[in-house]
Amino acid sequence: MNKCGYIILLGLAALPFRGSRMAYTTTPFTPEYPAYFGNRINIPANNPLTREGVYLGRLLFYETRLSAGNKISCGSCHQQRLAFTDGKTFSTGVDQVPTDRNAMSLANLLWVRNFFWDGRAGSLEQQVLTPLTAPHEMGQSLETSAQKLKHSTLYPGLFRAAFGNDSISGQQIIQALAQFERTLISAGAPYDRYLAGQYQPDAAAMNGMQLFMRAPDPEKNIRGANCAHCHGGPKLFIETFHNNGLDSLPADPGREKLTGLAADRGRFRVPTLRNIALTAPYMHDGRFRTLQEVLDHYSDHIINSAALSPVLRNTSNEAGGTALKLSSSEKKDIIAFLQLLTDSAFISNPQFSNPFN
Amino acid sequence: MTHKLITFITTAVLFTSAVQAQTGISVEGEVSRPLKLTAADIGRMKNVEVTAADRDGKEHRYSGVPVYEILQQAGVTLGAQLRGENMSKYLLVKSGDGYEVLFSLPELDSTFASRVIILADKMDGQPLPAGKGPFRIVVPGEKKPARWIWEVRSMTVRFAKE
Ligand code: HEC
Ligand code: HEC
Repeated sequence: MNKCGYIILLGLAALPFRGSRMAYTTTPFTPEYPAYFGNRINIPANNPLTREGVYLGRLLFYETRLSAGNKISCGSCHQQRLAFTDGKTFSTGVDQVPTDRNAMSLANLLWVRNFFWDGRAGSLEQQVLTPLTAPHEMGQSLETSAQKLKHSTLYPGLFRAAFGNDSISGQQIIQALAQFERTLISAGAPYDRYLAGQYQPDAAAMNGMQLFMRAPDPEKNIRGANCAHCHGGPKLFIETFHNNGLDSLPADPGREKLTGLAADRGRFRVPTLRNIALTAPYMHDGRFRTLQEVLDHYSDHIINSAALSPVLRNTSNEAGGTALKLSSSEKKDIIAFLQLLTDSAFISNPQFSNPFN
Repeated sequence: MTHKLITFITTAVLFTSAVQAQTGISVEGEVSRPLKLTAADIGRMKNVEVTAADRDGKEHRYSGVPVYEILQQAGVTLGAQLRGENMSKYLLVKSGDGYEVLFSLPELDSTFASRVIILADKMDGQPLPAGKGPFRIVVPGEKKPARWIWEVRSMTVRFAKE
C-alpha cells in the first residue's frame, strides 16, 4: 500500500474514537475493603473508578514526564516500600528546595475528606493540582504535561481507553491519578487479622492495644494513653484537627492559615497510624525520628497553649497530674501494638508498584 | 482547566476571608433563614439553665440557649410542621476540630421532648474552659457526653437521603 492510502486507512480506523459520541467501554473497578471500614467513601460522580482509569493513574503516578525536566514523579516522594512516604524530614522537588511539610503516607485515602496536613483540599482531584504544579514539587503546568504525554507513543491509547478520546487534557491526568490513589487500600495488617479473629498478638502488644484504646482514670486505677480518642477505629484515624502540643508558638500555623481563627493555631489533621512503623520521621514537620520519641512526646512533653486540644489537657495516669506519664514498659508495649499496623501486602502489592521497573 | 483553576482559587480566597470575618455559629441547610450568629446575637436570645453531669461524673450548672430557639429563628420545620417528610430531617452539629454529631429534630423539639438540649456558653457561671468554648452543646440526662460537642462552629439541617 502506498503511504497516502495507509494514512487514509489509519484515519478511518481512528474515526470511531473522535468526537464525543464515540462508543468506548470501560470496566468498572470496585474497591474491596473490610466492612469495618464503613462505606463513607468519597468518589465524585464525574470520576468513577474504572480498570482503565486506575491503570493509567498508576502509570502517571510513576511518570517522570509530569515533572519539569522529567526528573521526578509522585513515586519519588511517595515510595511504596515506605507506605508511600520518602523517609525524609522534608522532601525535595525539581528545584531542590525542601517542601514546607513532611510527605504524607498514601493509604486509605478513599475515606479522607480533607487532604493535606491542614485539610485544605476537599478532594483528591483538587489535591493533586498542588504536587503537579508547585515549583518545589513537580513544577510543571498541566498544559505542558498534557503536551508531553500527547507526543509519547505510550499514552494516547491509554487515555483513549480510559476516557474515550486521546485529546489528553490536564483534567484527565488529574482524574486518572485520583482514581489510582483511591485504590491504595491498606487492610492486611496483623491488626486486621486480629480484628477478624485470626491472630493472637503477644502479651506486650495486647497490653499496648489496651493502653492505646483507653483513657486513663487514676481514681479507678485504669491506666491508659487515650490515643484512640483521635487515632481510633479500624482505620486508625478520626478525621478531626487538633493541636497535639508540639509547640507553644508553632512555626507552621496549620489550619489557622486557612481560617484565620486563633483556635486553629497549630492544628493539623489527625493522620492514620496504619503502617506507622514504616513512615518515619513523624509529624507535619518530621521532627520525631522514632516512635519512641513520639511516645515520649505524648507522655511527658505536651506543650500547653491556648489552642492545645482539650483531649490532651489534664489527661494523666497520675491523680491530679497534667501529663500522661506512661512508664517506659508501657511505651514499649504501645510501640509493639503499633507494629501490628504494618501491612506487608500493601507495600508489596504489584498493583501499586512502579510499572516502569 | 485554567479557567476552572482560577475559579477555584478565587473561591478559596473569598471563602478564607469570609471565615476570617466571623467567629460565631452558622445555621444552614434546610432552613428558611440561614443565620450567622455572633456571641452578641446569642446573648440576646432566651437563656436557660440546666444541670447535668460531664465526663468527670460531677453535676454542673450550664446556661445558654435552647437549640430549639436557634432552629426556630432559622425557620426550621418544628412544632406543628414536624410531621410527614420533615420527620426524616436531622441536625448535624460541627466543631472547630472537625468532630460532628447528629440529632434528630424531635429530640430538639419541645413539643416532643421534655429534656432541653442547649447551646451553653457558661458552666457554673463562668465562660467555658479553654478549648471547649465559646459554645458547647449540653444534653442533660445523656449518660455518655459524646454528643456534648464543644467549640460549635456550625449547625446544618438536612434530609436523610436513604
Ligand atoms: C517533592 C515531593 C512530593 C511529590 C513529588 C509529590 N508529593 Fe504528595 N505530598 C508531599 C508532601 C510534602 C505532602 C504534604 C503537604 C502538605 O500537607 O502541605 C504531600 C501530600 C500528599 C497527599 C495528601 C495525603 C493526605 O492524606 O491528605 C496526597 C494525596 C499526595 N501528596 C499525592 C501526590 C501525588 C498524586 C503526587 C504526584 C502528582 C505527589 N503527591 C507528588 C510531597 C510530594
Ligand atoms: C487530641 C488528638 C490526639 C491524640 C489523643 C493523639 N494524637 Fe497522635 N496525632 C494527632 C495529630 C493532630 C497529629 C498530627 C500532628 C502534626 O503533625 O502536627 C498526630 C500525629 C501522630 C503521629 C505521627 C503520624 C505521622 O504520620 O507522622 C503518631 C505516630 C501519633 N500521633 C501517635 C499517637 C499516639 C501513640 C497517641 C497516644 C499516646 C496519640 N498519637 C494521641 C492527634 C492526636
